[in-house]
Amino acid sequence: MKRTPLALLNLIHDRKKFLTSLAGVAFAVLLMFLFTGFKNALYDSQTQLLEQLNGEIVIINRLKENMFVPRAFARRRLYQAQAFEGVEGAYAIYISDARWKNPDTRKTRPVRVIAYNPSDPVLPLPEIMARQQELRLPNTALIDERSRAEVGPRETGVITELADREIRIVGTFSLGTDFASGNGNLIMSDQNFLRFFANRGPEEDERSFATADIGLLQIAPEADIDALVVALSEGLPKDVLVLPMGGPGGFIARERTYWEVNTNIGFVFSLLTAMGFVVGIILVYQILYTDVADHWSEYATLKAIGYDNAYLFGVVMQEAVILSVLGFVPGLLISALFYNLGATVTGLLFQLTLERVVNIYLMTFIMCLISGAVAVRKVQHTDPAEVFGL
Amino acid sequence: MSSTSTAPPSSMAPSSVQVRNLSYFFGKGDLRKQVLFDISLDLFPGQIVIMTGPSGSGKTTLLTLIGALRSAHEGSLQVLNKELVGLGNRQLVEIRRNIGFIFQAHNLFESLTAAQNVEMAVELTGNFRGKRAQAVDILSQIGLAERADYKPGALSGGQKQRVAIARALVNQPQLILADEPTAALDKQSGRDVVTLMQHLAEEKGCTILMVTHDNRILDVADRIINLVDGRLESDASPQQFVDSHTTKALDQKMFIM
Repeated sequence: MKRTPLALLNLIHDRKKFLTSLAGVAFAVLLMFLFTGFKNALYDSQTQLLEQLNGEIVIINRLKENMFVPRAFARRRLYQAQAFEGVEGAYAIYISDARWKNPDTRKTRPVRVIAYNPSDPVLPLPEIMARQQELRLPNTALIDERSRAEVGPRETGVITELADREIRIVGTFSLGTDFASGNGNLIMSDQNFLRFFANRGPEEDERSFATADIGLLQIAPEADIDALVVALSEGLPKDVLVLPMGGPGGFIARERTYWEVNTNIGFVFSLLTAMGFVVGIILVYQILYTDVADHWSEYATLKAIGYDNAYLFGVVMQEAVILSVLGFVPGLLISALFYNLGATVTGLLFQLTLERVVNIYLMTFIMCLISGAVAVRKVQHTDPAEVFGL
Repeated sequence: MSSTSTAPPSSMAPSSVQVRNLSYFFGKGDLRKQVLFDISLDLFPGQIVIMTGPSGSGKTTLLTLIGALRSAHEGSLQVLNKELVGLGNRQLVEIRRNIGFIFQAHNLFESLTAAQNVEMAVELTGNFRGKRAQAVDILSQIGLAERADYKPGALSGGQKQRVAIARALVNQPQLILADEPTAALDKQSGRDVVTLMQHLAEEKGCTILMVTHDNRILDVADRIINLVDGRLESDASPQQFVDSHTTKALDQKMFIM
């Protein structure tokens, strides 16, 4: 036999009120999940293409501060890099924006075209590997099925115009959009890239195989990546930047840092998350305060018969913790639905990682504790003598 | 002090409550107002003492002082052989655990069953293993055995007050303080409640101090203390009390509900 679970019984005594309370907590949890979700999605999405790239070292133009900057570098650098000990493969990736005509609405939308030699293992997604033969045909491409709805049907067999030239979609893959991708992504062979972008008229950049946008190096398994990066940086002319793919200071981290530092995303969504947190504090405070006020004479009686403030503090805090746990679960489930919906509509990457779930729970927990600590003061200051003569 | 003090019931048993020259003030500085003047009083085991008097006479204040719910400043106040004057809050809480409190309102948690409400008091003694048995035992003593697992919402007013009494009695306190325990009850329930208290005083030899305006239950008292304007006006047996007050005048309507 243990202590009477007064906190739990008080909370669930009035079912309707209890469910409303949980809905309140769940709502605050949902707000926090949504706003941190948007923030993380915007950041995570910036690197989802980069994380798929199959290489350990990246060579880019020194001026290419982020994926949005259309600066190419001389493809010679890749041949030079190949001469270094430990470099097993050096592949050129060509990237350009182009106007895509939505076959249904006939409206044009900017999309990002990613091109490379289909024989190179640059993006080893199974859907892409399976379409190598079709990609070699003229005027063909694969479309990202997570492109935004504005580009029209994202499916095999679509025939429309890209940069005023007919293009045929021969397959799909799944990547997702980011700030630099416009409304979606296309993948095509380097040969087709030349067909589309070599002679685009006087106002557009003319592209050739002389320059590449991203150079991808694959290195021997026993080679030391950091040492090789240093060697390449020193050995290659200074117009290119050599970066490791992963790790702190790597290509992926650099891209993410750029958006974190140079946009207001973090500030805006952190502010909104904080507001969700405050809304939660107010809601839970209302719930707990009402409970305390409704049971004022009972709590005062407990004090009169010999319970101390610590016990009453414990009761209110237990109520706070119970609310934080039971309100968090529905909040999490609804948030997961919204994350799915958000990913489908925007093409952004909504990730519900364990770390993020734990973080939001901790916030919920702290939120409930703060509310409890404020609400409990009413009980603490209760003068048990006042129960007499009521 | 208009009448004779009643002697202890049997031998010269030690008193449960001994009040000597107790004065009490509310407020501070210029707003300081004296509500109790030089009260001296002894309550003995087995006695039922009814305290009566007009509102504002200080009855409730005296009750809360004896109940260790306020700290007394002047005079001496010994409850169950402990001096309360000068004790800190923490020590007062300890004293309160040995006193049974019955209030005008039942103050039961609606979310707990009758037994659980009573168990809340048992838990103060640290007896978690036997709390259920103890609660059911006391509830059956007051005729509520079959209502043990009902919540207050499913009990009548009289039953709820009896549960509250069970909560006050379950730890077998030597002193029970009651504030208008019958005020919210009809005649029959009120009578049942005081009869129950009478039995307890006899059987367990505990002291019961009850504030009431309910003249229907004056007959259960061994003594009636009358407090007027913070002073002890009379301390008499019920018969003396009734005689002195009915013969005097009916305009002392404060004794009549």
